[in-house]
Amino acid sequence: MSQLDDHFDEVTGLLYLERQLDESRAREVSAHLASCAACRELLHALESEGVWLRQALAAEDESIPAHLISAPERGGAHWGWIAAFGLGVGGAYTLWTGVIEPWFAQASQAGFTQGNILTMLLFSGAFWKGWDAMRSLTEFLAVATLGTVAIWLLRKHWQRFTAIAFVMGALVCALALPPAAQAADVERGNPNYTLLAGQEVKNDLIVAAAQRTRIDGDVDGDLIVFSNVVTVTGHIKGDIICFAQALRVDGPVDGNVRAWAQNLTLNGSIGKNLMAWAGAMELGEKAVVGGTMTSFSGATDLNGRLSGDLLSVAGDLEINGVLGRDAMIRGDRLTVGSSAQIGGKLNYEGTRQPDISPSAKLATSPDIKIMHRGPNYASPRYYWHQTLFWGASFLFGLVVLLVAPGFLSDVVQACKKVGPALGFGALFLFATPIIAIIACITIVGLGVGIAGLLFYMIALYSAQVFTGSWLGEKLLGAGVGVGPAIGRLALGLGVQQVLMTLPYVRNLVFLAIIVWGLGALVLAIYKRMRPQVAAAV
Amino acid sequence: MDRHSTTGAMSEAELAQVLSQVRAGDPDAWGELYRRYAPAIFRFCRRLLPAREDAEDATTEIFMKVRQKLGTYDSSRPFTAWLYKVASNHCWDTLRRRRIRQDLETGDLDTLPLEHPDPSQLERLQTEHTSKEVRTGLAKLPDRARMALVLRYYADMSYDEIADTLGVRRAFVGVLLLRARHQLRDALGGTSTSAERASAGGKS
Repeated sequence: MSQLDDHFDEVTGLLYLERQLDESRAREVSAHLASCAACRELLHALESEGVWLRQALAAEDESIPAHLISAPERGGAHWGWIAAFGLGVGGAYTLWTGVIEPWFAQASQAGFTQGNILTMLLFSGAFWKGWDAMRSLTEFLAVATLGTVAIWLLRKHWQRFTAIAFVMGALVCALALPPAAQAADVERGNPNYTLLAGQEVKNDLIVAAAQRTRIDGDVDGDLIVFSNVVTVTGHIKGDIICFAQALRVDGPVDGNVRAWAQNLTLNGSIGKNLMAWAGAMELGEKAVVGGTMTSFSGATDLNGRLSGDLLSVAGDLEINGVLGRDAMIRGDRLTVGSSAQIGGKLNYEGTRQPDISPSAKLATSPDIKIMHRGPNYASPRYYWHQTLFWGASFLFGLVVLLVAPGFLSDVVQACKKVGPALGFGALFLFATPIIAIIACITIVGLGVGIAGLLFYMIALYSAQVFTGSWLGEKLLGAGVGVGPAIGRLALGLGVQQVLMTLPYVRNLVFLAIIVWGLGALVLAIYKRMRPQVAAAV
Repeated sequence: MDRHSTTGAMSEAELAQVLSQVRAGDPDAWGELYRRYAPAIFRFCRRLLPAREDAEDATTEIFMKVRQKLGTYDSSRPFTAWLYKVASNHCWDTLRRRRIRQDLETGDLDTLPLEHPDPSQLERLQTEHTSKEVRTGLAKLPDRARMALVLRYYADMSYDEIADTLGVRRAFVGVLLLRARHQLRDALGGTSTSAERASAGGKS
């Protein structure tokens, strides 16, 4: 065996063969080879192995796929992104058809006159005269989703860039479907806009980016206002749509009032329906609402008269006025004063016992349900729901993992940068909705704003997938391949779900997951989008 | 450098003209360049990435990258060398992103047997296995080992280029290649070193 010490090792032999040794070492090896048959034999074997490898690698045993014959175009989107977008839209459509629409159908049966949640919730007869077109669009997008997924599954047999062009083209066509806003007078950038009494606007009136807006004259169409303080005393023959800090409506409105405001005061008459998102809201004694009222507000006083149904989700609701039909109330506290009259059923679900004056006139005895705040740990239903939530997040994670494994891996890597991830997460958690709302307010950017909010919601939901994957890896160590990644995802999400059921800390855990996961997502997207260094040659 | 080759390779003058037309935004020239080189790059990717779909995606993405980065190509150097470099960087990034790569640089030297392998067994291995079996064995290797073998024995890259692509020291490339050869021999049925043979013989 001692003779082996005189031989060169296999690495040296390989480096000699491939001419990678320096000159003096190469000479030594050559000299040794001249006298050593064993090393010559080894070198010969290594050399023939090299030739054999080259031949084996060069052998052509597969055909080139047909779709690679034609050149790709610049900037083609990646399939994973298209599929993820499609699935997101599909998910939104499922949510709409599976949850929201049935719920509203139920509400409609319960006496709420408007069955179509979209018509009721947004811009009824205002921005777009045809919400139906938007609904068709959603349906179309859902179909496009299915188509996209099918194409993705059959992608081997497709000319893929033709397919991408087709799908993207179809989406663009679909987005072009909604008809443009009707003719309108637009006032933009005037800090104090006043429509004087006696003046009349014949079209819709849009007032954007104003500090104070005062409408004393008449508007023949809809009034759409984005302003800090809005006062309306004139006659509005269409709807009022308003985003404001303070809105006061004293004049008559023939159509609907849809308002997003910190403080909302109504003293006039509203011909149709009232819908409000408000911090504080008051329906004055003289106020009359001809249709239904739907409000999501902190503190609400109802002193006026409402002909239709009431749906109120409020922190604190006080009723002293007259409600013509049913009232469905969800909230923290309900007070029904002595002067109140409710013509239909009163259904209340809240955390505290309502205070109903014995003098109040109620058509039927109220249906009251007191809910417990926080989870009910004693109920098996709670644990079933937690399991369902885990299942949903796991399925979502699975889709992300299978569709974009590289991206998921990037985000999980970004999770390791705890500080930056939390910082960016907190920033984007608050900044994104603000930016999206600003985009909405600028009217032109409405689509961008709504799309941004949609992506924001998807990002928030996906945050748990990223932190879950990271947690699974932390617990079981880094895995190799898809199978272990799925296991780690399932475990991480499970642990997170358990943490989110713990009393006292569950909200904190929830917030941490959202902020951290969102931040990691932002970091990973940034990493992908920043300019790449050119290939080194 | 004898890069693996492109179907119907262009003459230098022809290539230079096509490249300048592509730079000027001529879609036909781009199509021509793609038609000439895409099959070779697909075959290259196919040897680096175990799944065929990944190789298809990679080919497409590499050419989009090539189109973006064509401005950085130094025409005094061979175009195919640059093209393979872009392709190998892309494939390595893909593998790295997928976290399939697990082999580590450190400690590799210690695990290499210093004994000579049995030349007759090596030769037997070469005669017994078809090219297809070698390719199957190659697909089972750790990513870096497979990358090293393909870059060296398919794309004819220099040790410097391999070191740069894989992010290792140049001095380590030989070790990497030899280790990869050992792993391939093991994957195909194995050979033993003279010391192992001696020990096995002693036991029997």
